Amino acid sequence: MSDASATMNFGRRDAADKLRGRTRYTIDRYLPGMLHAAVLRADVPSGRIARLDIAKAARMPGVRAIVTAADAPGMVGIGIADHPLFARDVIRYDGEPIAAIAADTLIQARAALAAIDVEIEPLPVVLTMADALAPDAPLVHPDWRNYEVLLEGGARGGNVAWEATVVRGDVDTAFARPDVEIIESSFRVGRQNHVAFEPRAVIASYEDERFHIETSTQVPWSVRNATARLLAVPASQVRVTVPPVGGGFGLKFDIAIEPFAALLARASGRSVRLVNSREEEMLTCLFRENAEIRIRSAVTRDGEIAGREAVVLMDCGAYGGEQIFLTTMTAHTLGGNYSLGAVRLVSRAVYTNTAPNGAFRACNGVYNTFALERHTDEIAARIGMDPLAFRRRNVLGDGDLGATGQVFEGDVLGPMLDRMDTMRDAAAMPPERADGRLYGRATAVGTWFVFVGPSAATVNMNADGTATLVTSGVEIGSGSMMQALPQIVAGALGLSPNDVIVRAADTDAAGYDVGVGGGRTTVSLGAASLSAAQEVRTKLLKVASEMIEAAPEDLVMRSGRIEIAGAPGSGRLISEVAARAQGQIGPISGTGAFTGAGVPAMPGCVAGHFIDAIDIPVFAVHDCEVAVDTETGHVEVLSYRVVQDVGRALNPRAICGQIQGGVVQGLGYALHEEVTIGSNGRVCQNGFETYRVPLALDVVPVEINLYEGAPSIGPLGTKGAGEVPILNVAAAVACAIADATGKPIRELPLTPPRVLELLLDQRSTLSLPHIAEAWTDNLVRPHSAGGSN
Amino acid sequence: MSLSLTVNGDHLTSAADPVTPLVDVLREESYLTGAKPVCREGFCGACMVLIDGNPTPSCLMPVALAQGYDIRTVEGLAVNGGLNPIQAALEASDAVQCGMCFPGMVVSLTHLLTTCPEATRDDIRAALTGNICRCTGYERIIEATLLALATK
Repeated sequence: MSDASATMNFGRRDAADKLRGRTRYTIDRYLPGMLHAAVLRADVPSGRIARLDIAKAARMPGVRAIVTAADAPGMVGIGIADHPLFARDVIRYDGEPIAAIAADTLIQARAALAAIDVEIEPLPVVLTMADALAPDAPLVHPDWRNYEVLLEGGARGGNVAWEATVVRGDVDTAFARPDVEIIESSFRVGRQNHVAFEPRAVIASYEDERFHIETSTQVPWSVRNATARLLAVPASQVRVTVPPVGGGFGLKFDIAIEPFAALLARASGRSVRLVNSREEEMLTCLFRENAEIRIRSAVTRDGEIAGREAVVLMDCGAYGGEQIFLTTMTAHTLGGNYSLGAVRLVSRAVYTNTAPNGAFRACNGVYNTFALERHTDEIAARIGMDPLAFRRRNVLGDGDLGATGQVFEGDVLGPMLDRMDTMRDAAAMPPERADGRLYGRATAVGTWFVFVGPSAATVNMNADGTATLVTSGVEIGSGSMMQALPQIVAGALGLSPNDVIVRAADTDAAGYDVGVGGGRTTVSLGAASLSAAQEVRTKLLKVASEMIEAAPEDLVMRSGRIEIAGAPGSGRLISEVAARAQGQIGPISGTGAFTGAGVPAMPGCVAGHFIDAIDIPVFAVHDCEVAVDTETGHVEVLSYRVVQDVGRALNPRAICGQIQGGVVQGLGYALHEEVTIGSNGRVCQNGFETYRVPLALDVVPVEINLYEGAPSIGPLGTKGAGEVPILNVAAAVACAIADATGKPIRELPLTPPRVLELLLDQRSTLSLPHIAEAWTDNLVRPHSAGGSN
Repeated sequence: MSLSLTVNGDHLTSAADPVTPLVDVLREESYLTGAKPVCREGFCGACMVLIDGNPTPSCLMPVALAQGYDIRTVEGLAVNGGLNPIQAALEASDAVQCGMCFPGMVVSLTHLLTTCPEATRDDIRAALTGNICRCTGYERIIEATLLALATK
């Protein structure tokens, strides 16, 4: 096929209906006769359920079914199965589900919730990671040893749900070298709420002893499998379909409220609609986790990083969830940017009695990049080197080792820094301002990865010359399903992308898929789709060669025709060939499957990791200028520039849209999106009034340069482009504010009060006493002194 | 008690509780699901409708108070069955991502195009503060509005 034929600024076919208000998201679907459901949630962060009586609620008007923990015996999780559907005897966070009710109307369902008789005896509470790691801390899961282990290898103990480590080389020796400076930095970041505009929503039915779940999710197969596990039914009894999704950002990368609706549908025999209220979304949204980080480096005067160690504490809330997996990412987000000598890293998911956290765009990466880049600037300041020169000296290049011993291919970050220099130099110099504000700028680098994993696709060739792509991919707004995939299939078959129909996700119709997230759609589903299309192509060319009387290798597919190469207008329409094939040998289809081959780590240097190394690294360089108001602490972003490694830009316009949106979401994280937890264990920001996301007046146009040509195993050389744009934003903004103010930036978000405190030297030094001074004292599973390898 | 509404030129009656938010009546009785109840606090703009030509969050308006007004939802903004100028510009600019905020955006921007044909980039940014978008970073929406103003 011609590679170039897949590259274009193909517009979105779903745009017109979205603009007309016609698109039916899950929240817009109303089935005849359906019931409405509501969930009773705990209002204490920790307690024992002394009494739970649903008899009175069951007699309330309109009530058709009530379900509790007795109806859902299973436990789910990643790495360890620690999470029941309903609180079972014990409450572990404020907002934890206790029961669910289906009634004729939502008002009736909510009224019946109030009639459930529940008595909870308070238990000791741990709300912070410092509390959780204290020597005599109460255990959030006293029976953690009894949980089923789904992946061997992670160290666990007490309130440490999971621990992943990297030990490569001899860090103690590196730190003892006489020619190094030792620089230590500590950081703390808060939680971020996705604020996907469509709340999590589901409609479930139970027919012929099978569940049908229509849901707003990024992971139809995960919902299928986890629902079955929680309900203790075979996974084959669950079908998941997905209407258009009104935003995800990782929020919908996990099971949510689907099993409640499924249970109620089975119990009532009716379809059941369950939609989270905005308050439920705000309080239990699987936030980007709060984290605490200490990094220490041994660096020579001429800028060589001889050794580095870090401790990263990730608050997983009451259940392990995605953080268990994300402990893996520290190895790559702290160890995939710069050449390192010896390195040791530990990443710990810590239980607290707070709402569980989850995945959020570039999860784990945004705060580790913030921490690493601020630490990098502090190193440069200590050794008296220009921060950009220090980065240029140390960014990973061809053949360099990442933290896990992975060998990186290609010089990518260095040329990207050069390109950023060019963009910056080409920009008009900002005018001299005499407004009393402080001005600063910074350039930050970051490394992310495409989470590959398995995907499947089928392409059915239709007799009218169109092709139908069947996958479990979901369109969550990024355009991967509406633009990239049809372009890839169309490119292989010589069709217009408009002639590629994309089937909505349906686990009964399409093969297994990990889900839409981690920038993997264009790569994994794209590769499976390309493979399926190529099988169709081979079959079509065979039929066409008989019709045209030419060898298949002499034929090309372009513009809806199969032609003899070099003879435009010869041959037949694809529709004619497809129709002939259908009559003679049966309808033509092709199937494709893909997964990453896996990149090995250096033997023995990692423990507790879900993946050893990065299949497809993705690099980004961001640059921004800020002005800081010394009277108010308000930060204005004056300019923002991005050079992003995209492998190959299939749809440049769509990618640039992702970058602008991702940067703005990152500006919110950096400057004003703040989730806090009160002394009662409840999230304080329960709506849009108290949680401030970026408005049009807060943002600037992002100047974008797409860097193409870096190595990738993605189809046609692609990489995922939607996840990465948020990665470096907090780092770039924080470094620019530090440049402007000369103050150490240790915490996010940089709200006006926090910046003002820094300016007035009223911000006390960040202290993290629960991170032990000696790195090895932070481990559940000790490593031998001096490390290995 | 029966309530009487005029929505997109059609006369509708509703038996809803008079304090029910207008957005819920539109969605659940008329299946006009374009208006999205996203924040239910009047902040996000996703449920914006025109009440006698003025953009109004339909989550804050009790349905009884909407009687007697000309209510126009995004479903009623098409021109001859096609996209109106701002809808066309948003489509041409590839501005739409998840799309949940766009019905409300279209309502607000259709009003801006009508009432402020000389709007500048800063005017547009200011006009959009009542319509929050979590996906796009606004820039494409602003570009599309400028395009619609230029081609009007």
